[in-house]
Amino acid sequence: MAVPLLIVDDSSFARKQVLRALPKAWEVDVSQASNGEEALELIAGGKGEIVFLDLTLPVMDGFEVLEAIRARDLPAVVIVISGDIQPEAEARVRKLGAVAFIKKPLDPAELSQVLSDFGIYSA
Amino acid sequence: MTSESTQREVAGLSIELLDEELRDCYQELSNVAVGRAANLLAQLLKNYVIMPIPVVNLLERAELSMALSSIQGAQSVSAVCQGFTGSKISGEALLIFNDASFTDMAELTHFNGEITEQIELELLMDIANIMIGACLKGLADQIDVRFSQGQPYLLGQHINIQELLKNNEAQWDRLLAIELPYELEGRNVNCDLLLLFTENSLPVMHSKVSYLLE
Repeated sequence: MAVPLLIVDDSSFARKQVLRALPKAWEVDVSQASNGEEALELIAGGKGEIVFLDLTLPVMDGFEVLEAIRARDLPAVVIVISGDIQPEAEARVRKLGAVAFIKKPLDPAELSQVLSDFGIYSA
Repeated sequence: MTSESTQREVAGLSIELLDEELRDCYQELSNVAVGRAANLLAQLLKNYVIMPIPVVNLLERAELSMALSSIQGAQSVSAVCQGFTGSKISGEALLIFNDASFTDMAELTHFNGEITEQIELELLMDIANIMIGACLKGLADQIDVRFSQGQPYLLGQHINIQELLKNNEAQWDRLLAIELPYELEGRNVNCDLLLLFTENSLPVMHSKVSYLLE
């Protein structure tokens, strides 16, 4: 069965880069959100079993999304894909429950590696 | 390349809109570039930097001061300017500090003496070197160009934004402006990194970016 995958980024260009980097044979049901609030609604609606989350977002940023996921105990495995590469940003999102932190610009090989490391998808 | 752009009135300004897809792409490329600069600044000051959402506009030079979102006209500011050029793209980068920032900046760099104009200038130059360099390189790497940078020079200290922009000699009519308003978390430090690209640079930049959009 296709995995519900949510891509959250305010830039459609960035979302497209993520889409292109997905392993070709991975069966996913992709949804997209351009701010944190939309993302939370989609996750609550079962659209984000796996979430690729940007941090610098309007309305509600990535840190706040992670806090809300935890507070509402929503079932989502979150991989942060961020232009904010400060070690402090990575430490904070890991503390908030993100399983991995990938720096932008996105390297497709790194994304595949992370998916494989967490047993999410292996080619 | 710009045939799809349209006009709209923003706060009384005639800001020419970029094609949305291009604007979005410039914004994202800038986001990655400022991330690198923010990381270096955070290391230097050992303080978390709140990442700005880049503001990308095509506008007339005369409208620049009004278009700046984070610096108000009456505020006292100090700024450094540095030109850059390469791959048929040229422009200048401005780092503008709200003067109220210097007290906290000095504290973060463990400076204990009296904060003189000279000390402020040194802080300004040091930070400008780091941030402008990192940001330009971050942008250039992504669109596969190389910029060489000129010597940074002081645009002014303790003046308002209108005076500051008047001191800026470059007189291109229209430009692509990318505004990056940084803040330091828990600190009273506000600075604006402005990347200004000449109108003549736009065909090359748009084609580099369009390549990424394919």
